[in-house]
Amino acid sequence: MKSSLLWKRVWRHKLFYLFMLPGIAWFFIFSYVPLYGLQVAFRDFTFVGGFTGSPWAGLKYFEQFFDYYQSGAIIRNTIVISLLKLLVGFPMPIILALLLNEIRNLKFKKTIQTLSYLPYFVSWIVVVTLMQRLLSMYGGPVNDLLTSMGMQPVQFMYNTTWFYQLILGSDIWKNIGWNSIIYMAAIAGIDQQLYEAAKIDGAGRFRQIWHVTLPGIRNIAVILFILATGSLMSAGFEQLLLLNGPATANIGSVLDVHVITSGIQQGRLSYAAAVGLFQSGIALVLIVTVNWIARKVSDVSLF
Amino acid sequence: MQTHRFSVFNLLNYILLTLFGFLMIYPFIYILIYSLNDGKDSMMGALYFFPRKFTLDNYAQVFDNKQIWQAYKITILRTVTGTVLHVLLCTLMAYALSKKTLPGRTFFTFYIFLPTIFSAGFIPYFITLQKLHLINTFWVYVIPMLFNFMHIVIIRTFLQGIPEEIEESARIDGLNDFQIFMRIIIPLSGPVIATISLFIGVAHWNDWFTGTYYVSDKNLIPVQTLLQQMLTEAEALSSSMQRAAQQGGQTVNVNMAGATPESLRMALLVITVFPILCVYPFLQKYFVKGVMIGSVKG
Repeated sequence: MKSSLLWKRVWRHKLFYLFMLPGIAWFFIFSYVPLYGLQVAFRDFTFVGGFTGSPWAGLKYFEQFFDYYQSGAIIRNTIVISLLKLLVGFPMPIILALLLNEIRNLKFKKTIQTLSYLPYFVSWIVVVTLMQRLLSMYGGPVNDLLTSMGMQPVQFMYNTTWFYQLILGSDIWKNIGWNSIIYMAAIAGIDQQLYEAAKIDGAGRFRQIWHVTLPGIRNIAVILFILATGSLMSAGFEQLLLLNGPATANIGSVLDVHVITSGIQQGRLSYAAAVGLFQSGIALVLIVTVNWIARKVSDVSLF
Repeated sequence: MQTHRFSVFNLLNYILLTLFGFLMIYPFIYILIYSLNDGKDSMMGALYFFPRKFTLDNYAQVFDNKQIWQAYKITILRTVTGTVLHVLLCTLMAYALSKKTLPGRTFFTFYIFLPTIFSAGFIPYFITLQKLHLINTFWVYVIPMLFNFMHIVIIRTFLQGIPEEIEESARIDGLNDFQIFMRIIIPLSGPVIATISLFIGVAHWNDWFTGTYYVSDKNLIPVQTLLQQMLTEAEALSSSMQRAAQQGGQTVNVNMAGATPESLRMALLVITVFPILCVYPFLQKYFVKGVMIGSVKG
């Protein structure tokens, strides 16, 4: 009786299942099949053998990675770069949102906001090309400015002295505006009466920010922070693939790029899959740990 | 006393944000100027706000280049095809998932959510593309980008706000679910479709990775991949502008008119960035809302 009712409901929705069919098939092929294919990290992958037909190799490729003389440096670089991005880059959109929120002239505010989204919409290729041009030793405006002020021109690109500054700077430049959207929305959602109450209590502008605005965006900041730690093992592969060169390899080689160069360019697919699995395994542990800490400390957590 | 301090803060804030806005837009102004200036002249530097020797020659040469035309064609084709299919299929799926009465709704939502927290990573995905024979075809641009969990969630949230009564009355009029979707749901979803179109359209327009690593056919690469190849060349040749002028000629046709590979590259950059700059300010209201839904639900 009950099952026939369910069947009736299913039948009534038959067209909706048809609507979902392409999506179900797509997620199966492009998400679940690769998950199943992760086993190539433990196999000697051959194209003919495929995911399941290639012979088992055990932990051979993981050992290969840890025996590789640069693996320590690669892991260190990945963590250093993403930690820098987290520590320096994470607060930037919050600061931008706070500053924008203090602007009373709506037209000005809107203009700055629109401009701030702009770099988000261009590709890393465009960003790196812009950097190459602007920072060039040969007629780049930044070096022109330096020389006109009597300073020596600086080789910014592909130079270990400036590498981390450029990585951080370009990352902030590209994402600060976009990442501030969510904080602007959170600030807009704060009850105006809280500000009124703070004013009555004699709080000035900075104390209002400290006691009302910041607590108002705390939850969303914690959640975004947890999410950001999940990508601590990936330093941003598009950016580093393009900005890192032989000159900066010592401090610029990271896991994401190593997976691509060893896997696709050198064709060592099983090895690269093992490195990738190592990377996402650590990432999973990190996000769960930070989530646990956040729940203990601030009662806000993702899951 | 207090008001005085506030106004100092205000002034500093306005100055700081003006400077910030300038930093955001100046690189784009600069490449525009560079692309409108005579290439050889630009090599002397000290170009800041206005072209010194105005010329449209860089653009003329870029538009004259067959390879660039071909790449631009691929970019437009993949962006249009990819965006239309993505929006249509994601909206269909989101429409189904927006039905609270649909048996198995929770299961299917979880089914598409799970890969976002644990993905297989790059290599198994690459092997899958190989096995599907998508490598080195046009469809490698379109098919792997057909669906996106976050986009489906954003559309679903929007659709749940459409009153049930509208659909009910259409059903009474004898329309089936597909007709309701096409004639009622799609026309009512303008804002969310605009948002998702922007997101996926920009993703398609900006994607260089697929063209660089999954495609080797010269006639199939998009503009972004072409820019990436020029980037690598410019890198290798940065020590000598003279040598750059000779070797860059392999990808971009240089003649005697005074254009340099660098000035042509800047012109190409401008025509690559320009379409996006024209579109996004008008969709701002919508995508801001999209980001909010995306982060609240996600």
